[in-house]
Amino acid sequence: MPGLEPTLLHYLLLAAALLVISLVGIIANRRNVLVLLMAVELVLLAANLNFVAFSVYYHDLSGQVMTAFVLATAATESAIGLALLILLFRRRGTIAVQTLDVLKG
Amino acid sequence: MMLALIPLLPLLAALFAGFFGRRVPRCWSHWVCCAAVGISFLLSANVLYEVATLWPSTGIQSNSVTLYTWLDLGSTKLTVGFLIDPLSALMMVVVTLVSFLVHVYTIGYMKDDPGYARFFAYIAFFTFSMLMLVMSNNFLQMFFGWEGVGLASYLLIGFWYTRPSATKAGMKAFLMNRVGDFGFIIGIGLLFAALGTLDFKEIFGRVDELRGLNVSLWPGVEWSLLTVACIGLFIGAMGKSAQVPLHSWLPDSMEGPTPISALIHAATMVTAGIFMVARMSPVFEGSDTALSFIIIIGATTAITMALLGLVQNDIKRVIAYSTLSQLGYMTVALGASAYSAAIFHLMTHAFFKALLFLAAGSVIIALHHEQDMRKMGGLRKRMPITYVTAVIGAWALAGLPPFAGFFSKEPIIEAAHSATVTGHTYAYWALMLGVFLTACYTFRMIFMTFHGASRYGESKSDAKRGAHKKAHGVTHEAHHDVHESPKVVTIPLIVLAICSVFAGIFCVEPVLIGDYFGAAIHGNYVAHPAMAELHAEWHGILDYFLNALLSAPLWLALAGIATAWYFTLSSPKSADRLARSLGGVYNALKNNYYVDAFYERVFVRGARSLASVFMQGGEQFLTEGVLVQSTSQLVRWGAQGLRYLQTGYLYHYAFAMALGLLVLMTWWGIL
Amino acid sequence: MSFSAILFYVFAVILLASAVRVVIMQHPVHAAMALAQTLFTMAAIWITLGAEFLGLALVVIYVGAVMVLFLFVVMMLDARQQKWTPRWQRHLVPAVILGAVMLVEIALLIMRGVKMKDTTMPVASASMENTRELGKLLFGQYLYSLELIAVLLLVGMIAAIVLTHRQNRFAKRQDPAEQVAVTRESRLRVVSMAAETEAPEQSTAEPSPEKEGGQ
Repeated sequence: MPGLEPTLLHYLLLAAALLVISLVGIIANRRNVLVLLMAVELVLLAANLNFVAFSVYYHDLSGQVMTAFVLATAATESAIGLALLILLFRRRGTIAVQTLDVLKG
Repeated sequence: MMLALIPLLPLLAALFAGFFGRRVPRCWSHWVCCAAVGISFLLSANVLYEVATLWPSTGIQSNSVTLYTWLDLGSTKLTVGFLIDPLSALMMVVVTLVSFLVHVYTIGYMKDDPGYARFFAYIAFFTFSMLMLVMSNNFLQMFFGWEGVGLASYLLIGFWYTRPSATKAGMKAFLMNRVGDFGFIIGIGLLFAALGTLDFKEIFGRVDELRGLNVSLWPGVEWSLLTVACIGLFIGAMGKSAQVPLHSWLPDSMEGPTPISALIHAATMVTAGIFMVARMSPVFEGSDTALSFIIIIGATTAITMALLGLVQNDIKRVIAYSTLSQLGYMTVALGASAYSAAIFHLMTHAFFKALLFLAAGSVIIALHHEQDMRKMGGLRKRMPITYVTAVIGAWALAGLPPFAGFFSKEPIIEAAHSATVTGHTYAYWALMLGVFLTACYTFRMIFMTFHGASRYGESKSDAKRGAHKKAHGVTHEAHHDVHESPKVVTIPLIVLAICSVFAGIFCVEPVLIGDYFGAAIHGNYVAHPAMAELHAEWHGILDYFLNALLSAPLWLALAGIATAWYFTLSSPKSADRLARSLGGVYNALKNNYYVDAFYERVFVRGARSLASVFMQGGEQFLTEGVLVQSTSQLVRWGAQGLRYLQTGYLYHYAFAMALGLLVLMTWWGIL
Repeated sequence: MSFSAILFYVFAVILLASAVRVVIMQHPVHAAMALAQTLFTMAAIWITLGAEFLGLALVVIYVGAVMVLFLFVVMMLDARQQKWTPRWQRHLVPAVILGAVMLVEIALLIMRGVKMKDTTMPVASASMENTRELGKLLFGQYLYSLELIAVLLLVGMIAAIVLTHRQNRFAKRQDPAEQVAVTRESRLRVVSMAAETEAPEQSTAEPSPEKEGGQ
């Protein structure tokens, strides 16, 4: 069991918890696709926390460089995701997740 | 190689007539085939001349030529080759001569038939197969020829394939032959397994190795290998030479045109079995059980078939049963170890039986395809040549001097008397009775066909007569102005008649008594002394003739003729009275001792019900139901089950992904 | 417990709570606000760790640009408040179970894997060293990757524009490719018909009014 002083383990656990919460958000999402995209952002955020924690612990700034890259990538990805969402809305007139069943086999 | 030409020429002619016969004028087919077979005959005659006259002085006994190695299996070689010795030379001449005469006869007989070229192709192919069989020097080639003649027989019996009875008869012949072939293959297989070779000369040289060997038929029962092999080989001969119980295909084979009845079912194919046993004489001498089996089967065939010949009304069937009976005689001779007597009778029988068939064919076409003897009669004035040749043939068949049959039948009876194997006494009395019956039914046929009042056309009703007049413009009688057949038909008859007359006198001494066969036929003359006794008692032809006057067969034959005359011409009604009084016996004879009915019930229906059991149980249930349907159903169920996973909903997929992630984590991390 | 520890725990609680709010909130705008709060808190954590540049970058880029983008889209799509109905709640339970199991597993993995003697985090120093050092790395050792990321951003931008750009459907324009691809048969169709002849003279009283009426 980790002690009270925040150690590396604490940060890692925090990131894991954040990851799990956003995963639940992705799975249990029954409303609209926007929340889905937000949850994806949270996942990436959790990964970034991991990177930063390790970078600080090992005194290696490469982890923060990586974080910067991931940040940029996440931003791009959310932009494109939103563009697709807009296209979906134009097609369907709604962004309710239940309507996305064209792949039903 | 001149020898190779002998079978090859008919093969090439058959291929020509078969593939090109429709596109060339008709006469090409018959010229090519007749020429090919004729040249084969001349070459065979040349070989016979060499064998008979030149070889004795040089001391050559046989000439085994290997033409072509077909397959080399390391320890054995499968080859194509010829074994020329006195036996095969004699057979070659008989086969080619009769075949040539039948080819010429066919030109006239099948003149109006649309399948003219096809017929010639088939009979030329048959000649090729028979020659391969006779000239072979190893079992495989002989078996090839064996099957080839079986195939030709099937094709020719069912030649008029639009007739269902013809196709059925063809199938029957082929299937019964097959049953015989099964035994034949067992025999060959045993010899091959024991000796490791298929070559005749090697096998003959090593027969002594087989004497002590045993083979177990089923656990606990051991028989001598030689006996089993010989019986196996003889079963093949039973199928081919129509011995009881594999005989019933022969009368049905009369569905084919008459020329083939003459060629195949009188002179050549049915004698293949006899030839084979004679060829294998060194092997057969090693097993008394087999010889005894042969002699009993032969005697049974001879007597039962002769009885059947008495009650037939179709002219061809009478001659067919007569063939069966005479084959029985030959088989008895084989069983008595009188191989040369059997071959001699084979040769003379070929001549006079072919003659009788061709004469019957001549009558049939003259009467516009009428085959029922009850509708014939009084033809001797209208068809003199046919009549004379037919009487010559019948006289020879009955075994009366001085024609061929006389010289060949008596020795067989004597051989049966002097043989030592079990059953020879039964054979002797059967053959004696057979002589009486043979003369009886043969001359019944002659009298009904050629003598007495003409009955053709008398059974047609008035309505039919009127219809006939309308259709053909003339009355029935005027249309069927019966006249002698054309020369292409009568000339073969005359040639065969000459052979029947003289073959006996000229050939009996060298072939039977003399050492013509030499080393070709082996006989253990100490254990089986029939031939030795024959040799001992021979004092010349004249003495033979006088001796015959004092012995039973001659008088039995004459008694048979007299009986036939009585029942046919003198008082026909008494025949009917006799038939009625012997009611049950007569019915049994009429129905071929119910053999066909038995086969039908037991084998045919049995096979059909077995097949339907397999069909329903095996085919429908197993293959279709379980294998085919079930696999497809399985795939369908699986697919439908899996379908529920494809919901198309994003969150379901995401859940699945997370689940997968969990599983992976567990697997790699914890475990 | 040191002050940084207290800070850590406070920030951690806020972080997790706002993350949960992102997932749960009914109105999308509320969810976006919760996301912004999460990001702010995360930036704070990073600053306490000593990664100031990243923390500020997070605020500037993420909250400043990406969240705004999210809010733009939310308003453009006019997303409505959607209530939590019991049907949806039923789906929550398996997800939560899955999440809990996963969390436990990850915890076990981490604790088993991190076998270090001393895992205390170094104290963040209050200097601007972080940015300078980061700059040296980015433009030195990781220059290539930086350029690639730049290209990635460019591509993303182009992609977003291409995907959503609508052309004015009613504007008339010429497409030279289409003009050149025209064939004679698609423009002109020659039909043969019988020659027209003069109609014969007829009485004009009746037909004319009807003809004009029919016109």
